[in-house]
Amino acid sequence: MRWIWIDRFEEFESGRRAVAVKNVTLAEDYLHDHFPGYPVMPASLLIEGMAQTAGILVGEANNFSEKVILAKVKRAVFYSLVTPGQQVRHEATLEQMSGAAAMTSGRIFCGAELVGEVDMVFSHIDQNISGLEFPEENFVFTDEFMSLLKTYREQGGARVSL
Amino acid sequence: MPTPSKEEIFGKVRETLVEALSVEEDEVTEDATLTGDLGAESIDFLDIVFRLEKTFGIKIPQEELIPRDILSNPDYVQNKKMNEAGLKALRESMPHADLTAFEADPDIDKVSDVFTVGTIVRFVESKLNAA
Amino acid sequence: MKFVLVDRISELQPRRRIVAHKALSLAEEYLGDHFPRFPVLPGVLMLEAMVQASAWLVRASLDFAASLVLLKEARNVTYKSFVVPGQVLTIESDCKELTDEQSVFAACGSSDGRTIVKAQFTLRHLNLADGNPALAELDEQIRAHLRALFGLLSAGCPTASAAGRP
Repeated sequence: MRWIWIDRFEEFESGRRAVAVKNVTLAEDYLHDHFPGYPVMPASLLIEGMAQTAGILVGEANNFSEKVILAKVKRAVFYSLVTPGQQVRHEATLEQMSGAAAMTSGRIFCGAELVGEVDMVFSHIDQNISGLEFPEENFVFTDEFMSLLKTYREQGGARVSL
Repeated sequence: MPTPSKEEIFGKVRETLVEALSVEEDEVTEDATLTGDLGAESIDFLDIVFRLEKTFGIKIPQEELIPRDILSNPDYVQNKKMNEAGLKALRESMPHADLTAFEADPDIDKVSDVFTVGTIVRFVESKLNAA
Repeated sequence: MKFVLVDRISELQPRRRIVAHKALSLAEEYLGDHFPRFPVLPGVLMLEAMVQASAWLVRASLDFAASLVLLKEARNVTYKSFVVPGQVLTIESDCKELTDEQSVFAACGSSDGRTIVKAQFTLRHLNLADGNPALAELDEQIRAHLRALFGLLSAGCPTASAAGRP
């Protein structure tokens, strides 16, 4: 299983707002355990989708010079269930940013329906978590994430014809 | 806009701490320490700073609330104890803090006890009065 | 991946408290992306582990009455450190409130004596039959599956096994 919980950026306003979508499909393993006979997207993985959307927004605001990680989920609340065949839309807003941390708010939609809200604090790993050795390079923003952003910027919605 | 009274500031600070730290209102007393009594982690300090900025409409540069450069300066801290020069620098940069207990036992590992609810309230008050 | 984030239950006091464990292994494929050259348990999976442990307490305390036990709201999920492959995340969850429809927990996770994560959250307890009586059989299938899984997870824990017996 790949640890990527967004499929495509729909909107990206540097330093302000990002919108990413994720399709939910029975081809995903975890759904078969959650639950057998009645698959629903786990809330924790919806939180991760928002964390990836908001994390890239925060990282890009600093040109990906810092390793940005999720440090605190202030509040995550869910109003309805997401099932296979649906598309989830993560709308993240950068609320505040300082040298050490960033705060984001987020709304999760399925079509027009508000499915959940997630407010988070991100911090820069070097500054705030001590006692652990980690590699110098920015391992947080993997090639997959960078290419999602690149695709959004370069294609701008244009489709490739065969 | 008139400056809020100390009671109003305390009330809003208490609300902020209750929400940020999942503690009960009655745990948030003037003398309660953020890390010891209220269980705050370092990320919680950052969260609390953001919330105070938003609630009170003030800017709080990180170094003003917690002067990390003084706390980690080898000229001021030797063998995990802060010396007289360090205490002087600390007093000057943190007029909002009650350093009496820390001055009696300047063990750098205990410096987080300096941050009580009262410290935060006085800090916000001084920022609002300066604005 | 198998979405089972609890490997073992070591203590269970019905309606009150559960202690459970999640072991982390390099065999878990998602670690390749999280992160390259620095594999660590994702924070949301720590939350999921705490939620699943608490859900087991709900099920055991209410005799598996609800087929679905889901996260409704999480507050102040605070991450303090990492869990790396080879380590075990030990979850301690205390039940603050428990009704037939929902429960409230304060939980923390630790590893090798270090606090890793803490959180407060509310779980909702549901049966599909509540919305559509035709789905009662599906509820029963889910319940049966989960009873069997609970048996596996609580095998070494007498209080848990006793609570889980129908």
